[in-house]
Amino acid sequence: MNTKPESQSLAAWVEETREGIDSGRFPARAFNDQAVYDLEQERLFSKTWCFLAHESEIPHPGDYVTRYIGNNNLIVARDEHGEIHASLNMCRHRGNVMCKAEMGNASHFRCSYHGWTYKNSGELVGVPYMKEGYEGRLKRKDWGLVRVRVDSYEGLVFGCLDPEAPPLDEYLGGFQFYLDLYLKHGLGGVEVHGPPDHWIADTDWKICTENFAGDGYHTPVAHQWGFHLGYFPSSGSTHSQGWAVSIPGKGHGIGLGHGPNFPPFGGFPDDLVAEMKQSLSPEQVAVFSRTRTAVGSVFPNLSFLMQPFSLEPGEIGVRFVTMRLYHPVGPGRMEMYSWCLVPKNASQEYKKEAYRAYTLAFGQAGTFEQDDFENWTKVTQAAGMTMVRDVDFPYIMGMDSAPDPEFPGPGHAVVPYVNDTNFRNLWSRWADYLAGEA
Amino acid sequence: MDEISKQPTIERPPVGDVSQYPEQSAEGPIVIANEFADVVIRKVETRNGMRLDIWSPRRGSRILLDAVALDCLTFQEPELISELLERRPAP
Repeated sequence: MNTKPESQSLAAWVEETREGIDSGRFPARAFNDQAVYDLEQERLFSKTWCFLAHESEIPHPGDYVTRYIGNNNLIVARDEHGEIHASLNMCRHRGNVMCKAEMGNASHFRCSYHGWTYKNSGELVGVPYMKEGYEGRLKRKDWGLVRVRVDSYEGLVFGCLDPEAPPLDEYLGGFQFYLDLYLKHGLGGVEVHGPPDHWIADTDWKICTENFAGDGYHTPVAHQWGFHLGYFPSSGSTHSQGWAVSIPGKGHGIGLGHGPNFPPFGGFPDDLVAEMKQSLSPEQVAVFSRTRTAVGSVFPNLSFLMQPFSLEPGEIGVRFVTMRLYHPVGPGRMEMYSWCLVPKNASQEYKKEAYRAYTLAFGQAGTFEQDDFENWTKVTQAAGMTMVRDVDFPYIMGMDSAPDPEFPGPGHAVVPYVNDTNFRNLWSRWADYLAGEA
Repeated sequence: MDEISKQPTIERPPVGDVSQYPEQSAEGPIVIANEFADVVIRKVETRNGMRLDIWSPRRGSRILLDAVALDCLTFQEPELISELLERRPAP
């Protein structure tokens, strides 16, 4: 872990970084540095829309989960009337943690310190010794849990700490077209298959966001075994094929990998494919039907991956979807949350198969996951070395690529799939926030 | 401490008594718990009918609800519970 050099102010470093991104350079220091981490907490996570939970994690009145935005622990709860609220997980009386369990069901939250009791919507209702102690001076309505703005898209619940930030729809800025490729699997949409796996990793959250914003480049190398043994239906010689799509000025990006012989909607059951053709627009079907791998990141720290995985070498296998959140807990350190999403309307058999494919490839013990974290941890370590503080990495793939005129979706789409365009857009948006100019 | 006997005492709420907790009941127990409270529920047969017995081990309090009382709970708004908690949130 580094600290910033005294000779160069952080503001100047951010400005230099912004200029570097335009010419295809990004500094290693960004991935492991206390000052950069602190600035992200102050200027980025306090302003962006951050993913909190999928609605299917809290389907019934009183269901709640605890999650984070930056270093703020929040309760995300569905109230007795079905509405979703996010509140700071802190009693307003003396600041104790309200919900110590990370998931549960409660109509009211009662503090274990002095017993202040709140509705699950966050309103204060019960104060022990109210008359005797407060003598009429305490107004309950002034002391509810601290509220956090929430909004949702297709079951994804996001929170934002900035009351002035633009609405979620504007923030997503057209990326919804691509989110639908993960979320509209059938007419019933998707649901989480169990609670998230989560674990601490000595990896910077941004490395994961970048990788999942469309890094098809690493796949045939880092996950070579999957190609060689036939568990992953792609070939090293054709793996560069596909689109890289970014939403300029928003930071979101997705890689859409193709395979020359990969059948349309391969790896999904037929009845689900029939439903997907109804739930998706013709333009989305045109993109989806050619896609073998869809790997995308919603800025700043939420990602999705849909890909096939086969237990029988050489077969197409089963298509699964994982959703992941990279919660930063320190410079070069994060807590990974990883979910498996399954179509609500699919058969139990398919849900089970998709979950099995997910756990074999991703989650704490997943094979692809272990390949990635081995590399990401080493990258993070390197980024903390003193000699590396002035070292940049090249982000020059696709610098001169013109957008594909045939591409039917929104955003900036380029070929091939192996491309740095999405990453330049990601870092550019990240730097806007750090400069206070988002 | 009891001032007269100098023996330690415990506070018992006026409603219910652990010693009266039925050892034999028709059905149960069911435990309903979250991180804020826990209660033990049983269906209890009386001589001429039945009641739902809700017992709070932490408080030692207990209530026996008949069908009329339970039926009336089914058409209350959730705010009724908030009002009850407002009256006495803890201890």
